[in-house]
Amino acid sequence: MNDIGFGLGLRHDHYEEIVAAPGKVSWFEALSENYMVAGGMPLHWLDTFRRDYPIALHGVSMSIGSIDPLDQTYLGDLKRLIDRVEPLWVSDHLCFTGLRGINMHDLLPLPYTEEALDHVAERVMRVQDRLGRRLVLENVSSYVTYAASELTEWEFIAALCQRADCEVLLDVNNVFVSAFNHEFDALAFLRGIPRERVRQFHLAGHTNNGSHIIDTHDNPIVRGVWELYAEAVRLFPGVPTMIERDANIPPYAELLAELDVARDIAARATESGPEARQAAE
Amino acid sequence: MNRSNAGSLADLQRAFQDYVLQSGDGFVGSVRDTSKADRTTLLDVYRDGYALRLIEVLTIDYPGVLAMAGPADFDHMARAYIAAHPSHHPNARWFGRHLADFLVSTPPYDKSPAAAEMARFEWALGEAFDSPDQAPVVAEAVMSVPPEAWETISFAPLTSLRRLDFAFDVPTSWQRREEVEPGELQVAALDEPLPWVIWRPELRTNFRSLEPDEATMLDAMIAGLPFPSLCEALLEFVNEDQAPARAAGLLRSWVEEGMIGSFRF
Repeated sequence: MNDIGFGLGLRHDHYEEIVAAPGKVSWFEALSENYMVAGGMPLHWLDTFRRDYPIALHGVSMSIGSIDPLDQTYLGDLKRLIDRVEPLWVSDHLCFTGLRGINMHDLLPLPYTEEALDHVAERVMRVQDRLGRRLVLENVSSYVTYAASELTEWEFIAALCQRADCEVLLDVNNVFVSAFNHEFDALAFLRGIPRERVRQFHLAGHTNNGSHIIDTHDNPIVRGVWELYAEAVRLFPGVPTMIERDANIPPYAELLAELDVARDIAARATESGPEARQAAE
Repeated sequence: MNRSNAGSLADLQRAFQDYVLQSGDGFVGSVRDTSKADRTTLLDVYRDGYALRLIEVLTIDYPGVLAMAGPADFDHMARAYIAAHPSHHPNARWFGRHLADFLVSTPPYDKSPAAAEMARFEWALGEAFDSPDQAPVVAEAVMSVPPEAWETISFAPLTSLRRLDFAFDVPTSWQRREEVEPGELQVAALDEPLPWVIWRPELRTNFRSLEPDEATMLDAMIAGLPFPSLCEALLEFVNEDQAPARAAGLLRSWVEEGMIGSFRF
């Protein structure tokens, strides 16, 4: 994984700029659902970029934790997209996105219980069988703490990786957001994730409302997240990193500059712990 | 951590969804306050986010309707639509597909038929935008059809092609949607409904109005009728001697414009 490097989310606002400034990133992360269509411009652009860049597929609608049956039509569409893109890896979120046939189009957190662990692990294994590859699951930002939870989020993720043989998309911003919202130690989260399971990092901006933080992806990455990223790089060296921006999308060059900050922090963190702290600060 | 408020995974998920959909508040008892925020504030991040996310989807899919209604009325309408038509598809791209029918059938929106027509037009544009890729039939292929085959030959449009009739000046107004203040887009009623066609021959979506006889013949072609029946369909507009030439002329223009997906005889 060491040679994959630094990437950005593929957003249509940047298509023309990416073509005009090739080679500025090592890879792109494409939102799977945006390209799960029959044809036209979206797939044209995806094929265009795939010719020049490795692409990871990142979904939001697998609903891996839902009590509804797995959506086999969705998985079939995803498999066709995988065959087309031949992605670096395929990720989605550790959450549920609806039930009773309704899609909430939101990443609803799961209770961290043994029952939920059994349920999700069994579904992850079925999805991996269907897709013929390991699934990479992202820790979500969450705003509510279930009274029913028996495990910490990181204990749940570590156990899931062990049982289902899946991998982790470690969203550093989401760790930061959830640590603030649920009042846990973000470093304890990072230290609880099995080192060999982390396939990718996400970085993003958020909105701090004082009493809680919302994962809005509409702002630059804040200092606290950069600091946590430095720690994450020390714990999980060489893991590919990308920045997500989904609203208030700035020019491509602005995100490239932000990605340079990530490169710098990662380089310093890999070379030496204290220097990385200085870079993050 | 304790198990005192433990519910089954299914119970918790149902209660969570009910809370977000505003059909039940039982989930409040399943989550905790934090030292900084009470649980209702935190739960409402999901309740508020649900509506805002889907309103944004509709905003992207229906800029013309937004330009007609303005942000406040659009927001109100969108919330009513979200309540009436929750998403049943994993891809939010399909969430807004019922909007035109909703506007036609739901008071007070049924008093604004121009908005419903705008919604139907915008949805059809979206359908054409990412419909299956298909190379249009080229003129050389049609010209190589043997003369005797013209008795039975039938043509099929591109899968992206949509035929619509508008009683309001919808497509022309839609082109002005970014030139006016939101809520200021006026869409005038027409003296008679005007037929339109939307299609995507390559990557760019096209649309244009049709002459009445052209619309009639195109509808007959879409219905799968053979070429002689397309000529017959024109007899409402031209005499029997003129029909084959007019039909051939229209067919030629459709081929040149890339509207024809296939033919068989």
